[in-house]
Amino acid sequence: MILEAKKVSYFYKSQKDKWILQDVDAGFECGKLYAILGASGSGKTTFLSLLAGLDVPVKGEICYDGQPVLTKGLKEHRKHHISLVFQSYNLIDYLNPEENVRLGGNGEPRKLLASIGIREEFWRRNVMHLSGGQQQRVAIARALASDAKVLLADEPTGNLDETTAGEVISLLKRIAHEEGKCVIVVTHSKEMAEEADEVIHMETIKAP
Amino acid sequence: MNSIQRAWRSIVRKPVKSFLLFLTVFVISLFLTAGMASKNASIQTQDTARQAVGAGFRLDCNETNRSRRVAEISERIGEGKEGSLEGVHQKKMETAYGTQWIGWTDNSFDSLRLSDIEKLAAVEGISDYNITTCATAVHPVNFDRIEDPDNDQTKDLGGVTLLGNRKMELYSQVLSGNITIQEGRMATADDEDVCVISKELAGQGGLKVGDVLKFNDYHDPEQSPVYEARIVGIYETKQYMSPLMSGDTFRSENVIFTDLRFPEKPEGEEGEPCYEHAYFQVGDVKQYDTVKKAMEAVEIDWERYDFIDRNGDYATMSSNFKDLEKISGLFIIVTFFAGFILLYLIFLFWARNRSRESGILISLGLGKGNVLGQILLEAVLIAVLAFSASVLAGTGVSKAFAGYLVNQQEEQAEIQKNMDADKVAKNFEESEQTVTDVNVSVTKEMVAVCGAGTGILVIMSVGMAGIVILRKKPMEILSE
Repeated sequence: MILEAKKVSYFYKSQKDKWILQDVDAGFECGKLYAILGASGSGKTTFLSLLAGLDVPVKGEICYDGQPVLTKGLKEHRKHHISLVFQSYNLIDYLNPEENVRLGGNGEPRKLLASIGIREEFWRRNVMHLSGGQQQRVAIARALASDAKVLLADEPTGNLDETTAGEVISLLKRIAHEEGKCVIVVTHSKEMAEEADEVIHMETIKAP
Repeated sequence: MNSIQRAWRSIVRKPVKSFLLFLTVFVISLFLTAGMASKNASIQTQDTARQAVGAGFRLDCNETNRSRRVAEISERIGEGKEGSLEGVHQKKMETAYGTQWIGWTDNSFDSLRLSDIEKLAAVEGISDYNITTCATAVHPVNFDRIEDPDNDQTKDLGGVTLLGNRKMELYSQVLSGNITIQEGRMATADDEDVCVISKELAGQGGLKVGDVLKFNDYHDPEQSPVYEARIVGIYETKQYMSPLMSGDTFRSENVIFTDLRFPEKPEGEEGEPCYEHAYFQVGDVKQYDTVKKAMEAVEIDWERYDFIDRNGDYATMSSNFKDLEKISGLFIIVTFFAGFILLYLIFLFWARNRSRESGILISLGLGKGNVLGQILLEAVLIAVLAFSASVLAGTGVSKAFAGYLVNQQEEQAEIQKNMDADKVAKNFEESEQTVTDVNVSVTKEMVAVCGAGTGILVIMSVGMAGIVILRKKPMEILSE
């Protein structure tokens, strides 16, 4: 297992009596595409954030390659172990696509952009002037620029039309299968779930 | 991509945000520079009727010492004896009222010692000096003096007053602006047998520059030798000089200024001048206290003299603008605190507005310090540019600012003067002072202090505003 969640529980500090996650166990391997499904409020994004090291579980732990991520620190975990793709792309607006990709790591930006289908004429444009699909591709290229073995994506097709969403799903599948990365996607998309190697269903915790 | 590269791109590609910060820092540092420059501004004022402005010292005879010396010498001559000793004379006179003793002193006794004056004038820091003779009454031989027809002239000496000066331009009434030259020039140290008359005297007698006036001893106007002095200038007064004593001999219009050694001649004391005052001008008014100490250290018989500060002009000028430094200081403090609040709000807005960007960078594995460092770097780069621009514009703006403050001071002084007009009785006319220039310079020290001040403001503001980023968890930032 490259990434593991062990008995992970979580609540927000503002709502301490409301558990978002309770004793969640999950394991993820390289070379596979995982889809996390669940209703709104079931804690999918929270779980992904914990896997990404954006916060720490209230109980339980997240392990990377068998080691708790807190051993080396969350910053180290975010920098070297995982890469993130968001629903709202989250590109830096004053950097062009090439520069945004360079932020992700040491990967060659132009090669990466070309490999995910962004034509050269867009490489130095203002990212805000790209289409939603193009922006999400740039975000994926940025994630690929990192050497991280795990790619976490939160609703990557949520803002895209059907065709573009299909292209992004294919891209993520290719990254998992051809590049051997562990791709974990939080999604509502049935298409994504169908393409995934494994699907994890999350259920909303009912108040006692 | 490091934080410097990101900071530079953010500055260049978000020009509105950058320009706003540039403008704010520019104005703050400009105000700080202007405040500091005007705090150190030297204000050049000029008396409208005065050519020279400066500080100096005056040397007079000490009256107590004089009386004591007269008594001592008189004792040495002997009680009930006639005689003369060291310029003191006593004589017995038989009058209708019986025997009367009269005593008097001559110039050799009354005069300041020239050797003492020259010792003091040689002190380092004294740029020039003047000697003024006693007011000497003499008889006008070839011209008419000005007389008041209502005065009883039988008790008057029937003369005019001569006042010799080594350098007339340093005479107190000239320095105060009361006397100015209407035509010709003043008497100088190189002159011999020259005089400067009042415009009233010139007007009455049809006298002009180049004419020669004749004088002799008023005690014996028929027989005493006549001495000539050529008119080199005609003066006018803003207000009449106070007469030494009553009678037309001493009235202001009949005062004739001469070279230093002329009055003793028609007085009948040639070779025995009577020097009443000496004035020593300090070259650099900032060295006033040092020069004063050096003068007091000169070895002369100080008991004979009164050594008087004549720092009035300098003090008046300074006091007129004494509040300038205070106001400038207050302005600096207000600018500093207002600048801090303004910059803090700007950076707080930045931090909140860039919260998502911070979250993205943190999610990419950058530390919070790195993200905050980028914002600080942007602020510092813009602040350096703004500060450089403010230094370039500083001198001009500082001058305008200091000029504005001085004008405010002048107006305030005028209002105060009007308010006090009925409260203070004066027997003199104040010399009118106008500001002719305000010397403002932005020194290297000011630039350094202002730069440090602006830098501290920027760093403090970014630091305070950065707490918004530092205290939040990445997940909170991204979920906003």
